[in-house]
Amino acid sequence: MMSGMIADTRPHAGELDGVKRRRVLQQYRRSQRRDCLRALALVAPLCIFLLVMFGWPLVTMLTRAVSNDDFGAVLHRTSVALAEWDGTGTPSERVYADFAADLRQAHDEQTMGQVTSALNFEWTGARSLLMRTVRPLSTEPENGWKEKLIETAPDWGNPDLWVLIKRLTQPYTSRHFLAALDLEQAVDGSIQGVGPEKAIYVTLFLRTLWVSAAVAGLCLLLGYPLATLLARLPLKTSNLLMMLVLLPFWTSLLVRTTSWIVLLQDNGVINSMLVWLGLVSEGNRLSLIFNVTGTLIAMTHVLLPFMILPLYSVMKSIPPSYVRAALSLGASPITAFWRVYLPQTIPGVLAGTLMVFVLAVGYYITPALVGGQSGQLISNIIAYHMQQSLNWGLAGALGSLLLVGVLLVYWLFNRLTGGQGLRMG
Amino acid sequence: MALPAHISPMGRLAHYGYLIFCGSVLLFLIAPILVIVPLSFNSAPYFTFSREMLQLDLSAFSLRWYRDIVQNGMQNPNASFGWSYLVDSWNNAQWIHSLKNSFVIAIATTILSMLLGTLAALGLTSPGMPARGLVTSLLISPMIVPIIITSAGMYFAFSTMGLTGTFAGLIIAHTVLGTPFVVITVTATLEGFDRNLIRAGLSLGASPVRVFRSVIMPLILPGVASGGIFAFATSFDEVVAVIFLADYDQRTVPRQMWAGIREQISPTILAMATILVLLSIGLLTIVELLRRRTERMRGTTL
Amino acid sequence: MAAVAFENVSKTYDGKTSVVDNLNLRVREGEFLSMLGPSGSGKTTCLMMLAGFETATSGEIYLGERPISRVAPQRRNIGMVFQNYALFPHMTVAENLAFPLRVRSFSKADIAPKVKRALEMVELAHLGDRLPAQLSGGQQQRVAVARALVFDPNLVLMDEPLGALDKQLREQMQYEIKRIHDRLGLTVVYVTHDQSEALTMSDTVAIFNFGKIQQLAAPDEIYETPCNSFVAQFIGENNMFSGTVCERSEGFCKVRLANGDEINALAVTDAPVGAPTLLSLRPERMRVDPPAGDDWTITTGEVIEQIYVGDHLRVLVRVFGHHEFVVKMQNRSAGNGLTPGQKIKLGWRASDCRALDAAAGQAGAA
Repeated sequence: MMSGMIADTRPHAGELDGVKRRRVLQQYRRSQRRDCLRALALVAPLCIFLLVMFGWPLVTMLTRAVSNDDFGAVLHRTSVALAEWDGTGTPSERVYADFAADLRQAHDEQTMGQVTSALNFEWTGARSLLMRTVRPLSTEPENGWKEKLIETAPDWGNPDLWVLIKRLTQPYTSRHFLAALDLEQAVDGSIQGVGPEKAIYVTLFLRTLWVSAAVAGLCLLLGYPLATLLARLPLKTSNLLMMLVLLPFWTSLLVRTTSWIVLLQDNGVINSMLVWLGLVSEGNRLSLIFNVTGTLIAMTHVLLPFMILPLYSVMKSIPPSYVRAALSLGASPITAFWRVYLPQTIPGVLAGTLMVFVLAVGYYITPALVGGQSGQLISNIIAYHMQQSLNWGLAGALGSLLLVGVLLVYWLFNRLTGGQGLRMG
Repeated sequence: MALPAHISPMGRLAHYGYLIFCGSVLLFLIAPILVIVPLSFNSAPYFTFSREMLQLDLSAFSLRWYRDIVQNGMQNPNASFGWSYLVDSWNNAQWIHSLKNSFVIAIATTILSMLLGTLAALGLTSPGMPARGLVTSLLISPMIVPIIITSAGMYFAFSTMGLTGTFAGLIIAHTVLGTPFVVITVTATLEGFDRNLIRAGLSLGASPVRVFRSVIMPLILPGVASGGIFAFATSFDEVVAVIFLADYDQRTVPRQMWAGIREQISPTILAMATILVLLSIGLLTIVELLRRRTERMRGTTL
Repeated sequence: MAAVAFENVSKTYDGKTSVVDNLNLRVREGEFLSMLGPSGSGKTTCLMMLAGFETATSGEIYLGERPISRVAPQRRNIGMVFQNYALFPHMTVAENLAFPLRVRSFSKADIAPKVKRALEMVELAHLGDRLPAQLSGGQQQRVAVARALVFDPNLVLMDEPLGALDKQLREQMQYEIKRIHDRLGLTVVYVTHDQSEALTMSDTVAIFNFGKIQQLAAPDEIYETPCNSFVAQFIGENNMFSGTVCERSEGFCKVRLANGDEINALAVTDAPVGAPTLLSLRPERMRVDPPAGDDWTITTGEVIEQIYVGDHLRVLVRVFGHHEFVVKMQNRSAGNGLTPGQKIKLGWRASDCRALDAAAGQAGAA
């Protein structure tokens, strides 16, 4: 029988001597490192995949936003020649000669497009100017290219144009970002606002912000009472009603937006019903679509589940005993709600609102289909520049600004929800 | 919901007003989806309920738009129903072509997302994971970044890689968008996972591989499946990346609907939309069943 | 040859503080050993090291003759019952029980009777097809025990298995586990923080504190003769009061208390004359109206309060100045009542008053 007095109550008995402690720490750190490496190895495939297929595309967009595209590459001789020009007066004959040679080559190789579009954005009439200039280039001039070009079009004698061309031959530029903020660089290098006819982007950003905020607000207004009701009902009923929230959530975005077109059109279901009920006269049908109203209604519908689900999840975890305690202490139902229930739902409110806001800011499909002209958001203009005007630099700049804004809000979202934000119910 | 006797008339009014408000919001949510279903059976090429339809006159309803889905683009649409009709439709009908592409891309996306996402989630919930919050945010960021930015960037980058106009490029793009969902659902499942189950398995003599196969995998499968279904739905519904990255050969259902809405609106779109709604109901049901199964098993994990 | 042996086992996480400090322990075959101690005392860590889920920083653990530090947990053939049972939620009860047998490549024909026998042993024969979620806490606990035994291990570890059960169920399960242990002749190492559980179930109790075994002995020895003030305070109820050693003689010593009184006590501590000591006196060893006798210490006290507990009375008495002692009196007959303020005579055998080390409650405060 191993009974006995194995008693050692000396308090400092837990310390190790130096050598042993080092070895122990080494072992400990080694096992920590092993765990760390194992975790990283598991996360690596997705990380690498996203880095190449998502991170790099975003980077290319950013580089487009600061690059002068291939302007300098197409006009390669001219860029070299212009490097020596000091910017006063008109450039030397050499520049004109190189310019003519570059234009001829660009015309032959069909790379004129980038030169034309870039120049046209900054200098009105540049497109026709270049078209006109290209034709006489085939014949060699007697008195030199400078005279010939200025003869073809007097603009070639304008030093401002050459300042602009020199600027455009730089590999990097700030003009896209400036344009995205409705600014431009004057000939003398100072930053100034573009004229009111051209200043659309700031307006668009602001409109995107207020529409998104309005949608978030509407979603909160409509979603909060419903979420409260769902959280209070017994589980069977709330599960059933939740289907009515989840089905729109799972339905294709295009389908939902199509439905709204069907509903909101001038001769759509809602207007027809209002006319039939006599609330609206035949000629005065409500203009509910292809304007900001349409965008607001449709986006609220699409994003409402994103508000309801986090709210419901938070509300479900609030025990009813709190409100009961408040009532037992003498508070009216309104006071109990306002001072006891509401504050506990704030995390859900924040999560839902920020989520809806962030998603709304980036929305493209819905404003494109139902927004008409006045309901276009920033994503739509980015798409326009990508596909129609082919001004990729500007598209990149606008996209970069949008991205920065969204990331800021996302960071804020993470801070306020403690990183618990994105739970799908 | 009988109200207690001590509620004042004002309180009752407020209560019923509140219920009516909530009912209206639910109606707001569901009506748009339900309204297109009957409209897809409209025999006239209009987007509104004709008088005949409201009177439930049967002649106002027809399946012509559904037939159009099957037929539009066929070489011989008027042939009688038979094997050659089906083959013709399968090979040539526009919408069938889009449906095929949508399914192929969505299924490939789902498999790839589940694989990458589950591995990542296992790593994120491992005890040694450094900077877990930051890495999670980064892995989930494709959900947050506006789709137009992602698509534009992918267009630039994929052009240089020769991935535009290919199925591979589209599948990769959709996988980028779908994987965050798998990461979220599997992480949530793993966080609720009882680590003692692993120890129990080991103590009973099972090797770590066996423990993974017999204990961990079956228990996280619902989470993986849920995430996979989210990824499937995301891919099936995705249109912006398709607009930028795909050629006609890879046209998907949303892409075709998009073209239809903007260019030649015809109620065939509504018929297609109804089919998609049925698909959504199916997906939603599966997710709900998975959730119920997990709830039933939740009892023992403390 | 011991069934389990710990030899100079230490465990530290950060190299500074030891969670287990130079532990030496031998467990006989068929012994029921309880590891008892407060949270953080190292008992669970010892169990985990034995199971293989933690590795010792230094020292070696033996199963029989075999050192097992390098043996993976799945090869140690030790049955383990976890605190939260850890029943596989996606398998039925029968499948849970069959799992260790399937892993050992038993044929289906061999598995079925073993599972049946295990279920019968815990009296759950009819619940084989249920999922764990459909069982009550007590039933889940039994399945956990059955699962740890179905593959006939020689050693079973239990990590506070009864903590989640209510009092009545707990007592019933204590009896069941003990019965199974006796019937199968297993070696059981049982971790708990509930002292009554340890005392009733075990052959041997190891009291843990600060990573060291304070005392390793049979339950009665632990209770009757605690070797230091920690054990005395941890097990059973105690009246503790301090004093200074003023005389030492054959196994006894005279201790001077704060108020000047001098009493005789059993000298457990080595404290020399003039050193402080902590005296421990069990409430049930004190008698009101004690008999006269040489070895009886008698003093007077004033009743502060009497609490009626049903089968016994707890009387709070002020003695030796300001000390308040708890005295336990059996409720032999009605009308035993003492009233507050009443002066009574209190006595105990000198050998029941133990003079222990003075560092009670501060062990490891460094």
